[in-house]
Amino acid sequence: MDAELLELMRQLEEAQQAKPSMRLSERNVVELVHKLQEHQFFDFDLLHTVTGKEYITPDQLKLEMEKEINRSGRVSLIDLADIIGVDLYHIERQAERIIAKDAGLMMVHGEIISQSYWDSVAEEINEKLQECSQMSLAEIAAQLHIGSELVVSFLEPRLGTMVKGRLEGGQIYTPAYVQRITAMVLGATRGVTVPTNLPIVWNSLQQLLQDIDGASGVSVEGTFFQSIFNGLLKAGAVLGSLRAGMQWTPAVFAHAQKECVDSFFSQNSYVSYDVLHKLSIPQPKQYLQTRYPDGIPLEAVFVHPSMVDMLDAAVSDAVDHGNWIDCLSVLPSYIVDADASKILSLCPSLQKATKSSSAVILGDSCVFSNAFIKGIFDQLEKELDSFIFATNQTKNFKTAPISQQQAESKDVDDDEVSNASVPEKGKKRRGKTAKGGNHDKDEDAHEIVPAKGKKNQRKSKDVGSTGGKKGSDKVKEENPNVPVEWVAEKITSLTPELEEMGDSEELIRQLAMHLRPMLLDYYKRRKNTLLSENAEKRRRLLDSLQKHLDEAVLDLQMYEKTLDLFEDDPSTSAILHKHLLKTMAAPVADKLLHTLDMDNKLKNGVEVDDGPNKTLQLSTADRTSLAKTLAGLLSAKVQILVEALEGKRVDAFMDALRAVAEESGLLVKKLDKRVERSMLHSYRKDLTTQVSSETDSIALLPKVVALLFFQVHNKAIQAPGRAISALISHLKEKLPDTTCKLLIDYHNATVALLSLQAAATGAEGEDCLDDRILSKKELLEEKMPELKSLILGLTNSEN
Amino acid sequence: MEGWDAGTKSALTQIPLLSSRAGPRDGEAWKQRLKEEYKAMIAYTTINKTNDNDWFRISPTNPEGTRWEGSCWYVHNLRRYDFPLQFDIPVTYPATAPEIELPTLDGKTHKMYRGGKICLTVHFKPLWAKNCPRFGIAHALCLGLAPWLAAEVPILVDSGMVKHKDDEVTPSQSSS
Repeated sequence: MDAELLELMRQLEEAQQAKPSMRLSERNVVELVHKLQEHQFFDFDLLHTVTGKEYITPDQLKLEMEKEINRSGRVSLIDLADIIGVDLYHIERQAERIIAKDAGLMMVHGEIISQSYWDSVAEEINEKLQECSQMSLAEIAAQLHIGSELVVSFLEPRLGTMVKGRLEGGQIYTPAYVQRITAMVLGATRGVTVPTNLPIVWNSLQQLLQDIDGASGVSVEGTFFQSIFNGLLKAGAVLGSLRAGMQWTPAVFAHAQKECVDSFFSQNSYVSYDVLHKLSIPQPKQYLQTRYPDGIPLEAVFVHPSMVDMLDAAVSDAVDHGNWIDCLSVLPSYIVDADASKILSLCPSLQKATKSSSAVILGDSCVFSNAFIKGIFDQLEKELDSFIFATNQTKNFKTAPISQQQAESKDVDDDEVSNASVPEKGKKRRGKTAKGGNHDKDEDAHEIVPAKGKKNQRKSKDVGSTGGKKGSDKVKEENPNVPVEWVAEKITSLTPELEEMGDSEELIRQLAMHLRPMLLDYYKRRKNTLLSENAEKRRRLLDSLQKHLDEAVLDLQMYEKTLDLFEDDPSTSAILHKHLLKTMAAPVADKLLHTLDMDNKLKNGVEVDDGPNKTLQLSTADRTSLAKTLAGLLSAKVQILVEALEGKRVDAFMDALRAVAEESGLLVKKLDKRVERSMLHSYRKDLTTQVSSETDSIALLPKVVALLFFQVHNKAIQAPGRAISALISHLKEKLPDTTCKLLIDYHNATVALLSLQAAATGAEGEDCLDDRILSKKELLEEKMPELKSLILGLTNSEN
Repeated sequence: MEGWDAGTKSALTQIPLLSSRAGPRDGEAWKQRLKEEYKAMIAYTTINKTNDNDWFRISPTNPEGTRWEGSCWYVHNLRRYDFPLQFDIPVTYPATAPEIELPTLDGKTHKMYRGGKICLTVHFKPLWAKNCPRFGIAHALCLGLAPWLAAEVPILVDSGMVKHKDDEVTPSQSSS
């Protein structure tokens, strides 16, 4: 038998005996396991894998997890779930159990980390640290993907053992490195000699470190420097003072500062704050005050009391000798005005002087003795009158615009007058005008002493001028304009030495401002006395005007009435109107104008020579110009009056006259019956006596005619020669024919005589003419008694 | 190759093919043929076992390897039904396929010749003829007996012709 065949037989047998692999479907298996669980064959929860294809027991899971943790030392639960393929929930539960059991494990943000892992990390860190001397915690945390607190918590117990270094402000440094930095800090801070902001130093140190280390860039935090520095300071390795934790002032610098200030102050007995600023002392005033308690702090400098003594001596000298002094000339050059005035206020002699008002401080620094000012004032007083008179003349025609400056100074003036008890206000304002109000506040704060002095002085001045002040309110609105410029100009001419000063204009201006109120007071007083005189004069003037006006107006009215009779005869009427205006109204108007003008002048306080009340004849142009000088409404009305005078109607004139009278407070009397009668009576008597005593043959006729007219109409008339014939013809009807005839003859003769006389003046030396004139005169003189008797007879018969 | 299910087909393709054309009377050539038969059967058995499809036991009853006996079984409704198996190698083999007999089922089904020889499908013979001499005993079992059992046993069991008997041979043990 073939061996191979046998072998094959055996193999077939073997193959047939081999156990067949049993195949169970998944379903069957699941059911099987389910059945097992149902019959409680397991005393644990059987777990699925996430794929659902595998079962795993909790023990196996734990085993696998532990294996994984031990392998890497740090594993995240999510990774575990992925690796083992079990749901995260079971992994977490199992992880809790594992951690609870093993103290060397901890759970951090879903990761299980073992102590061995920390150890290895610490070793790594140490290696790296020794390599580059420092590491930041943030860097480590970022590398490990854990929080920096956690880094600190695991690093701290290992510092000094596993990690050889020092933890400082989020950085780990090797001791060698720390030592090096300390040396740098010490060197830098010892090298600093002026006050420095420490962060600046740290920045430069950082820069230096970076330069040394190159691009590898070990950055050192400023706080690290600071902590090292604080340690050094505490240990006394560096000397100095630290302010606000930042500003470092080395001891050597403070020492130098003190030395410098000391030497300067002791040499010059003053020290400017600027100097201290240059030495970078931040608050020089306080610094100096604490160092030199007896010194005097001013605005810009700090002075030794000896300086005040010196100034005091100079001032008292000036005051005693009736002179003035600019204290700037005595003081060191860069003591400014404000400070000068402050020093001045400290001078005892000046205080005394101002208190006793024997000196005045002007322009901050100049002291004027009262004697000096008095001298100027006296001289000014003399010039004032002439000046004011000159300005007043011009002012009458145009209301002089008052400049801003003057208006303001006037205000100040008023203030001073009204609240002398509160001089601060006025002073402040004056200070403003003088200096643009720069140091007002300080002045108020520090100048209490001089203010008192000024107040006193001002008070005394006020007392001196109260007499004049009573009337001053009334005339305030027409205060005389005394411009400061003018006063200043005068002062300059009087005291040329003032001009040599540096800031002479301002000073003179101040002086002028000081003097001006006094001048004004003086002027007001003078003016008031003048005014009280003038008021008397005015009253008299107006009285006389009124009286005159009464008479004249009554006359005028009387005559005016008569004119009504001639209404039907226009030519005669016109002539009569004109005549009446010329003879009667013109003087009235002139008188009125003249008096109003005088009154106006007096009212303005101008001295008027109260000469005799001459009735000067004015031309139309004069009248108009006079009318224009009068004030406002009155002027307009007077102008109307003047125009009416030129017109042809008396009643128009009367209307204008009434208006003017009303405006100027005069009365125009109305004509009433009783007055008229008495007037007419006197008129007649007057006329009759005139006629009877008349010798001039020509002048007789109008009077006779007037008398006759009166007798007929019982009305007074004023007629020119030209109107006589018209009058006669008017009377013809009322008079007996004889009388009429007589009148006409007489009239004709008169006319002839007059024409002859006129001709005679034209052609001189013609005898025949003279003869004829003489013959005519004789003829007239013959007829005169006849005419007289005509009138007198009539009156007699009437009587 | 139509007429067989997919499982049968895949198994068939995995059985190694034979090459010697020799019958039982060909002496040494038959031995060579017999070796090839063994190898094919070993391979088929292994395939079946790995696929959890073990369904027969077989062994030669004479040294020449012309007569084979064994058993085959089928699982129906979770019950295993075992049947004895026997066949001779015909002298015209391999041109003629062996006639597999299931003697216990003789007369119980009409898909059978007298003496318990199973009736094969119409497709078997042409396929066998086409593949002579590459097909051997293993192929005959795979193409012939396995489909027959799958088709006939359920019918036989359902009709009550074949009964599973607990007092009969236990399903786990093979009747070698």
